[in-house]
Amino acid sequence: MKTGLRAIPYLQWGFLATLAVFLTAAFIFYRGLSLLEKSEDKVVHTHEVLEHLQSIESESEAIESAYRGFALTGDEASLNGYREGVLLVARRESALGELTRDNPSQQRDLQALKALIDQKIRFADSIIELRRTSGLAAVSDQLRLRQGDELMSEIRGVIARMADEEHRLLHKRDAEAEHQSQRTKGLLILQAILCLAFALIVLSVRRSLTGIELAAARQIEEQFRTLVERVQDCAIFMIDPRGKVLTWNIGAERLIGYEADEIIGQDFLRFYPSDEGAPLNPHDYLRIAAGSGLFQTEGWRTRKDGSRFLADATITPSFDKAGNLLGFIKITRDITERKKAEQLLAQKVADLKRSNDELEQFAYVASHDLQEPLRMISSYTLLLAKRYKGRLDSDADDFISFAVDGTQRMKALIQALLLYSRTGTASPAASRISSDHALDEALGNLRSAVGGSGATITRDSLPEIAIEHSQLVQVFQNLVGNAIKYRGAAAPSVHISATRNAKEEWVFSVKDNGLGIEPQYLEKIFVIFQRLHARDEFEGTGIGLAICKKIVERQGGRIWAESEPGRGSTFYFALPEMEGQ
Amino acid sequence: MMQVYESRAEPFEILLVEDNPGDVRLTREAFREAKVHVRLHVVSDGEEAMNFLRGKREQTDVRPDLILLDLNLPKKDGREVLAEIKEDPSLKSIPVVILATSAADEDIQRSYILHANCYITKPVDLDGLLHVIKSIDNFWLTVVTLPH
Repeated sequence: MKTGLRAIPYLQWGFLATLAVFLTAAFIFYRGLSLLEKSEDKVVHTHEVLEHLQSIESESEAIESAYRGFALTGDEASLNGYREGVLLVARRESALGELTRDNPSQQRDLQALKALIDQKIRFADSIIELRRTSGLAAVSDQLRLRQGDELMSEIRGVIARMADEEHRLLHKRDAEAEHQSQRTKGLLILQAILCLAFALIVLSVRRSLTGIELAAARQIEEQFRTLVERVQDCAIFMIDPRGKVLTWNIGAERLIGYEADEIIGQDFLRFYPSDEGAPLNPHDYLRIAAGSGLFQTEGWRTRKDGSRFLADATITPSFDKAGNLLGFIKITRDITERKKAEQLLAQKVADLKRSNDELEQFAYVASHDLQEPLRMISSYTLLLAKRYKGRLDSDADDFISFAVDGTQRMKALIQALLLYSRTGTASPAASRISSDHALDEALGNLRSAVGGSGATITRDSLPEIAIEHSQLVQVFQNLVGNAIKYRGAAAPSVHISATRNAKEEWVFSVKDNGLGIEPQYLEKIFVIFQRLHARDEFEGTGIGLAICKKIVERQGGRIWAESEPGRGSTFYFALPEMEGQ
Repeated sequence: MMQVYESRAEPFEILLVEDNPGDVRLTREAFREAKVHVRLHVVSDGEEAMNFLRGKREQTDVRPDLILLDLNLPKKDGREVLAEIKEDPSLKSIPVVILATSAADEDIQRSYILHANCYITKPVDLDGLLHVIKSIDNFWLTVVTLPH
């Protein structure tokens, strides 16, 4: 599929290019249209100028005949046209001035025209004045009249020049407009050709891509088939819609026993034991798979040699492009061993649980029932001690002493054992409690020990944690109690703190400055009844740390110690932050 | 005002219903140290207890002033004995002190419901037992006025 995938960016570029071409065409067209509009404006403009020029000419002639008329007749009425004409000419001149603003040569000519017309008007005024004062004879001077004629023809000349200029401009603009429209037409045709060319390129590329795709797809199918063939530990085979076997892989040969050539074409019902009381017929499996896209089942299958195995089978339907059912793909795995292992595990777990329960019960009952005979021994030896102390010989006193001492210790041990067996029998805590409160209670219980030893207790603020309150009290009480009990020469100083670690656990620590523990004993101390000191050095049953360990581990945590003999020890216990971990 | 307790001339008759001979002896020794003069009658099962109380045994059996009753007894169980005593019009006025090893809530509740006068859990050591007997002595035999 590599070639095909590489071609995709090309197609994208093709699309973008087509879009660019289209936009350019639109732009050219738009520009062409606006240019056309501009030339139309210019044509209108030219016509306006010509019109004004023509008017000025006729107005000038009107002025001419008006004052000439007056010159001849002396009739004031003829001057009406004259005055109007002068005004009109002035207006036309200013209009022309506006229209030809951008044309320097026209402006120059206009100035010349204005000058001439002014001159003419002055001349006309002088003639009129002369007529008025001196009469007809004064003005009928031929020379004078001819001067007026010359001015008029000069005016006409300038006007003609200006008109020519306008015509010339118009002609030029016409030529330009024609040129533009030709260009626009040409560009649009070019555009059309380019688009067509692009379309052809895209079509041909697509066709070649499809060819590449097909080849790649065929190659993949080939690779896949080989892969499936070679799988050894799963049976993967295809069956047709009626259940006849179409393909067979090595895994199927190994698992079910048939060779490819003896099973292809056979009905897949062969693999199902005949006496299987299954609620569904294997053909129903096919129906369900075809409907929902998948069918999975666990059940017994029969091999070629008649032996059975427990299978996990998946049936998937296979459809062609049109949606017709081609057949089914069946993947079967032998799970006999796995099932056996699962059952064995479940059984072992049940056994273990039962054993644990029995053990706990035993520990409880034993301790409980041991108490009565112990009570007898203890009471009577004490009674002996009380009643006969000093009355028998000193040996007897010693013997009685040892006996009494023994019973006291036995009593302590049994009570400790009872406490240990009862510890943590409830299920692990589900809700969070304040460990600050638990420490408060533990310290309260240790008040006399703290006071008696002059101990300094310091603490950081402690978090909320999921554990039963009374159990955490026990842990703190044991650890802090030990810290105080196993002290050196100095007054005990104990610090309790907690930090959160990366594993989402709170790690509590109880640090002391006491005797310390040798490294080889750091694990032994957590074992029940194990003690590191002689009975007469420190009292205790050796159960405190074992109880702490039981409580902490039951909650999913762990407990350990670090120590420097002679300097002190730190006991750590980690508890998961979230319950149920 | 300080109450003056009269000391009785005759000894107090106490019926101890207890099957453990060790406990019997201890109790006897403990009463030895008591202030008042006590005559301890001992029976070791529930049936004997009822026989004693109903005068079905020897002539020397007397109606006790106080009964100390254990709960776990052979033949007739202590709870049954308690129930029978407190249902019998001629016997129910005798104070019954349950002196049992069990500290279980249900035993305690049940005993009071059956009209035991009080429930004492037997201490695990000698000193404790001595203390309890002394207390019984102080309270039931000294402070309290017993019915006749």
